[in-house]
Amino acid sequence: MYSEILAHEHERHEKIIETLSKRFTTYGYKRIKTSAFERYDLYSNVRTSINQNEMIKVIDYTGELLVLRPDVTIPLTQELVQMNGSLPEEMRYYYVQEVFRQTFRENEEIGKTQAGVEYFCESSPEADAETIMLACHALRDVGFSDVKIEIGHAGFFNELIADLSLSAELTAELKIIIQAKNVVEIGPFLENLEIDPSVKEVLEQLPFLYGAPETVFERLQNLRVSESVKQAINYLQQTYEIADLYGLKKHIVIDLGLINRMGYYSGIIFQGYVEKFGKPVLMGGRYDSLSEEFGIKRPAIGFACEIDSLVKATAHKELQERFSIDITVLYEESRMKYAIDITNELRERDYRVLSKPMKQTFHSKDSMYTIQLTELVNELTDEEGTTEFADFKELLEMIVSRKGVPEWTI
Amino acid sequence: MDYLTVAMAKGRTAERAMKFLEKSDVRFSNFTDESRKLVIYDDQQKIKLIFVKAVDVPVYVENGAADVGIVGKDVMMEDPRDVYELLDLEIGRCKLSVAGFPETHIENKPFLTVATKYPLISKEYFDKKGIRTEMIKLNGSIELAPLIGMSDVIVDIVETGTTLKENGLVVLKEIADVSARLIVNKASYATKTADIQQFIQDMKEGLEVHA
Repeated sequence: MYSEILAHEHERHEKIIETLSKRFTTYGYKRIKTSAFERYDLYSNVRTSINQNEMIKVIDYTGELLVLRPDVTIPLTQELVQMNGSLPEEMRYYYVQEVFRQTFRENEEIGKTQAGVEYFCESSPEADAETIMLACHALRDVGFSDVKIEIGHAGFFNELIADLSLSAELTAELKIIIQAKNVVEIGPFLENLEIDPSVKEVLEQLPFLYGAPETVFERLQNLRVSESVKQAINYLQQTYEIADLYGLKKHIVIDLGLINRMGYYSGIIFQGYVEKFGKPVLMGGRYDSLSEEFGIKRPAIGFACEIDSLVKATAHKELQERFSIDITVLYEESRMKYAIDITNELRERDYRVLSKPMKQTFHSKDSMYTIQLTELVNELTDEEGTTEFADFKELLEMIVSRKGVPEWTI
Repeated sequence: MDYLTVAMAKGRTAERAMKFLEKSDVRFSNFTDESRKLVIYDDQQKIKLIFVKAVDVPVYVENGAADVGIVGKDVMMEDPRDVYELLDLEIGRCKLSVAGFPETHIENKPFLTVATKYPLISKEYFDKKGIRTEMIKLNGSIELAPLIGMSDVIVDIVETGTTLKENGLVVLKEIADVSARLIVNKASYATKTADIQQFIQDMKEGLEVHA
């Protein structure tokens, strides 16, 4: 009986991985793998890395110290930096791998399966909003209806305290208070610090900068902040506005007190929660400066889901599966809303779809179809040529009628 | 219908908290002092109250078994958990203190034995002062330890000081102020934001009336 239950769990585990992988590929991500062993130096040299006590260490026969892969982002970034030059500017990768960390909580497994994406691209609200959409989409695919994505900006807190010259110890203490939204203790803590009163006021407000986007952005308008903090807020707001176009409004919670454990995040950071599960099932953010630790700037955004958490959280759900193919949607800025609508609709019909602002440098070799939306015309291009279309219905008919495209799977 | 699950320990703090909620018309008429029920619902069936041991409240909340918890700051300090701490209920006020015989000078001793329910907080406190210590973890009647010579001092919460006085002990140092806190599960705060903010508002209103 026990083994039956176990087998059932494993099946669920596999199904969730399959569902997530399929969704990742519909956004143009390709699967990669990283080595199970990494050099200890890789992690000890990166400034804002994983706690050294949490890593599982191994010694090889030459005496070199290795660790069992504690994360995927750091080795992947290093590898890409080393291969720099031969690589395109934009890359989308996903992985499904075990990561190994030993925390001091009892009952916690050392090895955990993570499914995650890494999107190497210039920092832009468009790219970030799409990544957040993917996170939400993936969780919905797994079968959750009440998905909430909490979004913050690492730059907000970092820029806020940048000029305060706090000691590392005090900064750590302040972070703990902020992470707990500790309304009770933040006042007394700040009282003892000799810092700019306007910064103090903002820090005191931090626990309340949480909730529905409109409310939070309105509250933010009344705060006096430096230019760099303002930039972080503007970026966050632009990202939210595009996420809203994706139809994510009711799924988004803005949380400016969000500080991720991994110190390398530099821009948007986010966490995903689902109904009836007490812990985040997904975490991610933008890490533009991580690659600089290896010598080159290669900005990126990514997130990872904890498969084991999803297995627990779906204990009472039936899982669905999806299939997919390739289309690229290019749009002029004025057509963004329409492009997003089309992208959403096509993805709903299980096509692999990329959507991005139109640039001259773009090559669409990787996709079977390219859709171009300009001020004047809507066009669909494939090997056989370019055709205009008037609306989404016509577009669908054209895609179905051409050869090499499978019928709907729904 | 989804309940808001609230965890607290039975006792004075729980009774005060329920009083606060009455101001906002949240009532638990099924509840009596003698009742042994571990789960009760409010009259409008919106809140599910579960009674657990005080030290377990943060555990229930961190794991999401309860959305909200009410628990003393001393418990949170001894066993920090990844939760939000959103309100000071200003009840169950007391001080976490070092106590011992009046003639004890803790700074002069090369080595100090400390009996306490709070080994983590105590160790951190004495470490910061550069005092070497040995911790003896006890679960009750802490005051007895110095009397029978098992420890030099104790670290415990002190409300009125009566127990100390009757046993010939005095407060030597104060470590921290303690009172009941309202803690919230991070996922619940995202998925049930409105319900939880309403609950906190109800508590606040009760708090103001009683202040």
